[in-house]
Amino acid sequence: MLNEERIILMTQLAAYEVNEGKRNVKIGNYFRSDYIAIQVLKSIVSASIAFAIVFALYVLYDFENFMQDLYKIDLIAFARDVLIRYGISVVAYGVITYIICTYRYSRVRRSLKRYYHNLKKLSSMYRE
Amino acid sequence: MTGLLEFREKIKQLYIKTEFLLVPFLKFLLALVALITLNGQLGYMTKLDNIAIVLIVALMCSFLPNGFIILFAALFSLLHIYALSMEAAAVSLCMYLVMFLLFFRFSPKDSLVVVLTPLLCVMKIPFVIPLAVGLLCGPASIVSIGCGVFVYYLLDTVISSAPTINAMGEDETTAKLRLVIDGILGNKAMLVMIAAFAITVLVVYLIRRMSIDHSWTIAMVAGVMTNIVILLIGDLLYDTNMSVVSVLLGSVLALAAGKLIEFFRFCVDYSRTEKVQFEDDEYYYYVKAVPKMTVSMATKTVKKINSQTRMSQQTRNPSGRSVVTEHTGRRPSGSSRVQGNRGNYRGGRSVTINGQDAGDMQDLDSEDFEELF
Repeated sequence: MLNEERIILMTQLAAYEVNEGKRNVKIGNYFRSDYIAIQVLKSIVSASIAFAIVFALYVLYDFENFMQDLYKIDLIAFARDVLIRYGISVVAYGVITYIICTYRYSRVRRSLKRYYHNLKKLSSMYRE
Repeated sequence: MTGLLEFREKIKQLYIKTEFLLVPFLKFLLALVALITLNGQLGYMTKLDNIAIVLIVALMCSFLPNGFIILFAALFSLLHIYALSMEAAAVSLCMYLVMFLLFFRFSPKDSLVVVLTPLLCVMKIPFVIPLAVGLLCGPASIVSIGCGVFVYYLLDTVISSAPTINAMGEDETTAKLRLVIDGILGNKAMLVMIAAFAITVLVVYLIRRMSIDHSWTIAMVAGVMTNIVILLIGDLLYDTNMSVVSVLLGSVLALAAGKLIEFFRFCVDYSRTEKVQFEDDEYYYYVKAVPKMTVSMATKTVKKINSQTRMSQQTRNPSGRSVVTEHTGRRPSGSSRVQGNRGNYRGGRSVTINGQDAGDMQDLDSEDFEELF
């Protein structure tokens, strides 16, 4: 005899697993701190590359003047200035990533909690 | 209204039935339109402006993930810009990389928004996008819209700078770079557009989630008004040369598109709203339940009773008899009820009976068939 309620639950669970569940399970496998740390590290790498690209464009934008002034400017002060800007950019991007990932992780945990609850419910239906 | 609801159900059923074909076809169509538009707008590399190449790439996009449409579109645009000037292509590549590294990694699911935004900007109907995104997605999609608007203005800058770049000599590398970078960063219209779209998405999203009657309609109107006001203020402050008539027409079109989206995603009957209040050990609950407008599909029952083509029977009953019974059951919208995911569609039933003696069947009426099947 077909159990309609069980079939509906199974369909919902299967649909979840195929769609957002796939990504959520992957995130849910991490501890909270591990997930956030990995994402922040990725962000630092991304921000570093992006900063390098923007800096390269900045140099190329006024390349002739930059090369002329290279021997006149205080290179250490210039490097310090660039590093401070780099630090601010990376830290700001890291903080934004931290906030987004914390929110995303808690949302995923809630979603997975519902999913596992439904799995238990399905399992109990089979035992009845 | 009932007719419209039936039409909606038909479209839904058609989509469910043909999803495996329809989705790749729509992806193919989107990729095709995007690539043809790119070729039409840029078109500096004549080798790429070949319908065979475009068709092959669009076909590939139809079965690859959505992100590949962006990849191929970016590749096409870079190749076109490279044919115009290597420096402009380098700047464009840098911009794409920065966008990909910083913004796009947070909302990879919104690849369609990134493709559709510049496409609709070219078609002069960009105001549909913030409204649709506010209704269907979340605030995170603002990033994707911003990227889309940026891509449109990047390509627009390249197109408008093309005559100057062509007039420049080979050795004026820095000047070409400067021209493109200045053109993008100094584009106030782009900044105004990004700000207007971002705030519009937020306004639409926040209002449509409110527990008020007609929240979607209010959200749409508020979103359109916000968009118009910000664009006009931006025009006054930065002299962006925004055409007021086109903004108003685009907003009306956006409203129409928004109503269409509402019809398919949020069709509810506020006249039958129920407000209930109950409590358990820990909480008091104030619940507002708004029933969805649904209508049962017309149920058709077709019964065909054909006589066997045996010679002996043909003598008794020479012409095959066919009985077709059709009745339609339609529930008016007023009597619709709140539904879960199950829906209440009852598909039509088709029954064909062969190999029965027509004479025996004559005594049976339709009631008997209902019992039989």
